[in-house]
Amino acid sequence: MSGRMAALRILLQIAFRDLFASRAKTLIVGGIILFGAVLVVVGSSLVDTVDAGMRASIQGSLAGHVQVYDARSKDPLALYGSMMGDPELTPFEDFARVKSAISAVPGVKQVVPMGLGTAMVSPGNLFDQAVAKLRADVRARLAGQGGPELEARTEAHAAHLRRMATLLRDDLRQATEIIEIGGKEAAERARNAEDLARATSPEFWDEELPRDPLAALEFLENRIAPLALEGTLIYIRYVGTDLEQFRRAFDRLEIVEGSLPPPGQRGLLIGKLYAEDYLKLRAARRLDQLQEAITLHHRKIAGDEELTRWVKEAGGQTREILMQLDPMQAAEAARRLRTALGSGEQDLGKLLGQLLAVDDRNFAERYRIFYGELAPMLQLYPFKVGDAVTVQGAARSGYTKSVNLKVWGLVQFKGLEKSGFAGVMSVMDIDSFRELFGWLTPEARAEIRGLKAAAGVKDLSREEAEASLFGSAPAAPPVVTGPVAAAPPGPAAPEQPHPLSREAGEGQGGGAATSPSDPDQGVALNAAVILDDPRHIPQAMRDIVAAGDRAGLHLKAVTWQEAAGMVGQFVTLARLVLYVAVLIIFAVALVIINNAMVMATLQRVTEIGTLRAIGAQRRFVWAMVLVESVSVGVAFGLVGSAIGAGVVWLIRAAGGIPATSDRMYFFFSGPSLLPRLGAGSLAVSLTIVLLVSVVSGLYPALIATRVTPLEAMQSGED
Amino acid sequence: MTRILLALFLLAPLPARALTPDEVKRVVQTVDERQRNAGDWRSLCYMEAKEKDKTDVVYELTVFRRSADQKFMILFDKPRSEQGKGYLRIEKNLWFYDPAVGRWERRTERERIGGTDTRRGDLDESRLAEEYDAKWEGDARLGAYQVHRLLLTVKPGVDVAFPQIRLWVDEATHNVLKRQELALSGKLMRTSLYPRWKKLHSESKKGDVWFPEEMRFYDEIEKANQTLILIKSVDLRPLDPNLFTKAWLEAKSR
Repeated sequence: MSGRMAALRILLQIAFRDLFASRAKTLIVGGIILFGAVLVVVGSSLVDTVDAGMRASIQGSLAGHVQVYDARSKDPLALYGSMMGDPELTPFEDFARVKSAISAVPGVKQVVPMGLGTAMVSPGNLFDQAVAKLRADVRARLAGQGGPELEARTEAHAAHLRRMATLLRDDLRQATEIIEIGGKEAAERARNAEDLARATSPEFWDEELPRDPLAALEFLENRIAPLALEGTLIYIRYVGTDLEQFRRAFDRLEIVEGSLPPPGQRGLLIGKLYAEDYLKLRAARRLDQLQEAITLHHRKIAGDEELTRWVKEAGGQTREILMQLDPMQAAEAARRLRTALGSGEQDLGKLLGQLLAVDDRNFAERYRIFYGELAPMLQLYPFKVGDAVTVQGAARSGYTKSVNLKVWGLVQFKGLEKSGFAGVMSVMDIDSFRELFGWLTPEARAEIRGLKAAAGVKDLSREEAEASLFGSAPAAPPVVTGPVAAAPPGPAAPEQPHPLSREAGEGQGGGAATSPSDPDQGVALNAAVILDDPRHIPQAMRDIVAAGDRAGLHLKAVTWQEAAGMVGQFVTLARLVLYVAVLIIFAVALVIINNAMVMATLQRVTEIGTLRAIGAQRRFVWAMVLVESVSVGVAFGLVGSAIGAGVVWLIRAAGGIPATSDRMYFFFSGPSLLPRLGAGSLAVSLTIVLLVSVVSGLYPALIATRVTPLEAMQSGED
Repeated sequence: MTRILLALFLLAPLPARALTPDEVKRVVQTVDERQRNAGDWRSLCYMEAKEKDKTDVVYELTVFRRSADQKFMILFDKPRSEQGKGYLRIEKNLWFYDPAVGRWERRTERERIGGTDTRRGDLDESRLAEEYDAKWEGDARLGAYQVHRLLLTVKPGVDVAFPQIRLWVDEATHNVLKRQELALSGKLMRTSLYPRWKKLHSESKKGDVWFPEEMRFYDEIEKANQTLILIKSVDLRPLDPNLFTKAWLEAKSR
């Protein structure tokens, strides 16, 4: 043993002597190893931290520890959607059965029903929205309600519509002056002008509207509203769930504004990021983006193509603002802007143009004026917390379903606030999800079966239809009498009102109460499973599938990462990129070390030959070269790892790496990334370095063992 | 030999004579005219739609029409969950009403009625001559029927569900037996079959009104999707004058 130690000491002495003797070579080889070690330590610390952050965010917001869905589903579960949109999942028709089976698995703490989907809200154009308000006033009057408050409201709504019609009339006049058209389009334009003249006339508002309000409203809706700007369709990605269970299971849920619907109440919580990025008044949104770019990222409008475009887009949105204001509000807004801008301009449109023509010098002031003076008079979002909105869903079984839902608040998931995938997610109560999904109760299914049976229709596929239907001409002409051909002419029988279905009445007004039944009774698309101990995820997944099999269910259990779809794959992708970079660096290192060692070996042929001549075994020579390459690797690898650890510590001490974009915000699971140095990162770094050193030393060592004393003497003679 | 050849020549079917543009126009006008009512219309329909991997959709609905000002309305009667929903066409506006939420929404001509493969035009009066320019493509056989095949292209500025239509019109009766709807690119979107036609006498028209008793629509994009409509009864007596209003449709659900 002591002999071996002595040999090792000699080998090390030779190695370090050689390394010092050829410092340049040692520094080049060592530098590459050092850089690789730093990269492995820093890179893996960063990726590990991102991984841990995203795991916590995704588990704590939507996924839980394990997600379960029906194994017969066409698509894999993707909580944040996939490139192809929402995955098509086979629903759990009776979630209670699923929950009962999963809950029996040891270690399962909670099973939360879920249904992911995309709903639509169609607010119509601004004119449609304003007519709807006046229609509600008229309905209230017709229903016998009255009072000064209703009078004042009706008057304000009518004045707003009249102003909008005036703006549209002015637009049309301007368009007519600019472009001359002929033919059918000219006739159409003339008719529009006539309609707008009527819609802005005192007779219409003072006489026609009070005399026949419904007819006047229909004129506005059918002839004037189509001339206004096109309305937008708002798409809302949501998770339908039992809100109580969801709140208990996911601690990352954060109510930014408003509150959770009270127990037993239906409702919708809109994703905060979605509200900001997609719903906000466009001019305001562009100003916000400019503000963020200028103050946070220190960009300048001048010379920045993107910021210049945003300024132009904000300035092009004055019509949207003008249409929102009734005559009194418009006068007040103009007064405020004149004072704030120090302008003598009377026209509100031009004042808005002045306000939104921002540059680097005036931006801060104009931004303050917009939010301080104008924004309080505007509706910045199509709906606000507390409003009831009509939400539509393209039902899986059946046609589009609609429900009125109260917007109870704005939500975000801590750590995923800025994620374009997760931050836009809204939350909805499970009953509303089931209604939008078009879930048919057993009674509804029976009714449809009955209707089909009564119709007695023969199913014909596309292929057989033509032959079956037109294969032979009818022997006689078609029946020449109709069902009422012989009936005497005269007015039809008076219509009987349709009895309204129970479902129809329930949705009225929004914020309706959920049914008192168990929220687990009914359809769900997937379930989030929370475990007592997240370390047992693989075992729990196996147990859940087995429990499903025993219960005759087809359960598929996936981890949070798999369930997160594209989002979950980002960490894997980041790790892959790191590994590829490391692989390339160490492959280069391997080649360089190998070459350098081969050169060094060839230069030391005399020395090696002499060693062989005085009795050194091939094994000793082999070890000598190998120890040299391993020594340089280990020495520089250790230094590199230490530097890497220092870099990680410095990044932490400096407050982490700040996220400068939404995407980075998401990767960092917050506003900055505070990397943590793990023992794993160091171990991986050293292992890789050692491996590379050994492998790169093998070939030169082999060459060295082939050197004989004779060769040494011959080389000395040269 | 010459005789045989002459006999064969005489017995061989003559190539179809192309219809002149005027004749084509007349065929399309006849198609419209036979279905024109010149008064009010009320029909009870059964509608059934099948889509891949989905539960069948079944409705019973009433269609109301008024020829004088091209008014059109659909009211859903069954099943209970759909009761009271309706479409109302006033001029160029197609409105949809859902009593469950008490809201009206503006829809387009491309709206799939009740989520099926039916469009408003399938249940409305035929206005092909007014909306499209027609061209003769050839004469052919469709099963046991001898038919004219026509290609219709939408006129500029007209809002329709499909910009191109190919028709198979029965030469004997001038009833449409088959119809293909195409996108602007020429891509086939939907095929419709009309195997059974009925007629009844209309007092307002002082003549017969024809209607397809059965319509089958086959989606050519999603091949597994199909819709069937049966017109169960038709009533041509005058309707309530205030019928085609939002207030009337709303009142049906109160």
